[in-house]
Amino acid sequence: MEEKHTTLTKENGGISRRQFLARGVAFTFAAAVTGPGLTVLSSCGGGGSASGALKFWQFYALGGDVPAQSKWFEDTVDAWNKKNETQVKLEYIPVTEYLSGSKLQTAFSSGEGPDIFIISPGDFLRYYNGGVLEDLSQYMEGDARNDFYENVMTTRTVDGKFYALPMEVEPMAMYYSVKAFEDAGLSEADVPTTWEGLLDVAGKLKKGDSFGLLFDTNPGYYQNFTWYPFMWQGGSDVVAESGKESTFDSKGAIQALQFWQDAIESGVAPRKALGTGANDIVPNLAQGYCAIQNCGIWAVADMRANAPDFEYGLFKLPLPPGGRYTTDLGGWAFVANSEGKNPEEAGKFCAWALGSMSEDSIQRGVDWCTKAKSDIAPRKSVQEKAEQEGAFDSGPMEFFREEAFPGGRGEPRYTPEVYKAVSDAIQACQLDGADPGQQAEQTVQTINAFLKGYSGASLV
Amino acid sequence: MSGKPSAPVAEAEGKPRRPEEGPARRGLTRKHREWLAALCFVAPDALGLLIFLAIPMVLALALGFFDISGFGTYSFAGLTNYKRMFTDPLFLNSVRVTVTYVVLFVAGVFVVSLALALLVKQKLPFVGVLRSMFFLPHVVSLVVIGLVWQFMLIDGRGVVNQLLDVVGLGNFSWLGNPNLALFTVVAVSIWFFMGYYMVIFLAALQDIPQEYYDAARVDGAGTWATFWNVTWPLMKPTSFFVLLVSTITGVAGLQAFDLIYIMTEGGPANKTMLGIFYIYQQAFMFNDYGYAAAMASFLVLVLSAATAAMFVLTRGGRFEVD
Repeated sequence: MEEKHTTLTKENGGISRRQFLARGVAFTFAAAVTGPGLTVLSSCGGGGSASGALKFWQFYALGGDVPAQSKWFEDTVDAWNKKNETQVKLEYIPVTEYLSGSKLQTAFSSGEGPDIFIISPGDFLRYYNGGVLEDLSQYMEGDARNDFYENVMTTRTVDGKFYALPMEVEPMAMYYSVKAFEDAGLSEADVPTTWEGLLDVAGKLKKGDSFGLLFDTNPGYYQNFTWYPFMWQGGSDVVAESGKESTFDSKGAIQALQFWQDAIESGVAPRKALGTGANDIVPNLAQGYCAIQNCGIWAVADMRANAPDFEYGLFKLPLPPGGRYTTDLGGWAFVANSEGKNPEEAGKFCAWALGSMSEDSIQRGVDWCTKAKSDIAPRKSVQEKAEQEGAFDSGPMEFFREEAFPGGRGEPRYTPEVYKAVSDAIQACQLDGADPGQQAEQTVQTINAFLKGYSGASLV
Repeated sequence: MSGKPSAPVAEAEGKPRRPEEGPARRGLTRKHREWLAALCFVAPDALGLLIFLAIPMVLALALGFFDISGFGTYSFAGLTNYKRMFTDPLFLNSVRVTVTYVVLFVAGVFVVSLALALLVKQKLPFVGVLRSMFFLPHVVSLVVIGLVWQFMLIDGRGVVNQLLDVVGLGNFSWLGNPNLALFTVVAVSIWFFMGYYMVIFLAALQDIPQEYYDAARVDGAGTWATFWNVTWPLMKPTSFFVLLVSTITGVAGLQAFDLIYIMTEGGPANKTMLGIFYIYQQAFMFNDYGYAAAMASFLVLVLSAATAAMFVLTRGGRFEVD
């Protein structure tokens, strides 16, 4: 019977409690020491294709709202990977996380930023002043550098060098529901051309739980982006041309603040938008939440993909008395991380993809702007080719090319401090009934205090 | 080892061993061995707390004295970040918003969850289902809760407004009106937490011996007198726990960030800009890590002071009951 005794003792080949504890501690210690060590070693290797690939962060999900958009990214990367030893790997970051989350920022803070990523002008100075943007013009031919529209590149250029290559140009305009107009007894002839006219028509269109007009109401870079043209129309700007002082307390800015406040206080515009905000056209205009919506050219593709039967019209941003037409030209751009694992190859990738005079680079631009999305091209050659293919011959794209785009101005590249000061003024006036004149003065003080100690690249 | 049992040391020295001392081992005494075993059990947790909590806290405190770009450059800034804090109107606004939020949230969640606990302690039909229903919001992701409530509260066509419209109470912009937005976020926060605290209160209620209630009934006490003289005094330690935890949750809990992030982004007009969201904005949207760390340190200091004050005032949660 004694031979069958199975207690784990050293005598019968098992281990004692003390040995068990000792071995457990030793194992834990070994794991603690070697685990991170192995991780560090594996990340330093760079020999394997997966770990050595350049990381390309963007927010177009595989099979997302418009599948052609993520496919364009995949095709671009595949084409590069076939021809080059240095591989590029796409990594998807959800759009809300990309725009207002912490992932991109914390990656840079920990020295693990992506090698290639996309930014809008609103974020340009944050990364440029952080010293992480690679000069992309060094990888481009002279012809290609001159091929980009000057007003599009202004906010991506420092000392004549390009630090970001735009994929698209996205002007803002006003979309309206044809049915809502007809139901209110209005026609194309009633399309407003002035601010006063817009509020008047919006009042006629407001019906039950449907609003007449929609401006963005969420605080953020996008709201500022959509508001700037209304300020510019009156001849004002946030910062003077010298870049040393703010001119925000001028007539144009104050009347634009007042205009957005009037839209809310008259009850024709809601305080909250549906979907992800006023950039989202289908849940708002197409679902009848509003009859007129301030939105960008990207909404044409959204409508085409998600509300193809919805009948809508477009008109240019209305003007204040004595105002001059302009609109904001937004759009995202490829950038390369100068602190990444291979800035040169990352820069070459950006230049190859969007900034080369080769046939495939031009075609890639055409495909993005006219097939995957609905945008104006940032380059003359791309725009010409797209026009030759008939992409701007009719409908909304013709409107944007012929009417909205000319006279447009690139989205400003203010620092977060300036953005926040302007955002607070817009929010206070639009939603909290603050006095626009007072808010404008306060904003000037805040911006001037910041500009006194600012030493980064020019804001204008 | 020969397999032959070794003689106990005490016996070898001619001293009888007490049976509870166990077999003698070379080197450590039993007391020391127990210390060592205890240390081995505690060490993983202590190490985890040290690495993931204590060291980051100390580092965060230190970050407050630096100017940090967010791209790897540091420069010593002394007390600049702390001085800036008290002249920054947006920070002072966030403190005001946080205090309002915490006071409303703590009071609201306390009353609602206690009321629910008293309700579901009764012998009601389907009381298990009721308890589950009240607790369910707490198991749903805060992001989902934020999105769903945002949809239900939307101007004009949200279900809440539709219902109010039916009874003629008009139409409100729950999240877009600066006078309502914070109250709306507080209400959703209470709704999210009420089931969780209800369970805690319920456990405390069920711990009160039935004899006390029987005695109160014999003495002729009514419902209110029974609650005030029997239930409430015996619930004080639990109430203290709920007050303490909900205060900490109110200031720095996940819901304080997630719901704001999803539902209002700090707006309208900074009226829902809680301290924790402002800190996040400064760190991750504006790259001002040093300033964010200074504000976070201040928040921790205030929270520690408030917790200490609560401990002192309530004699460590024991009140007059010892």
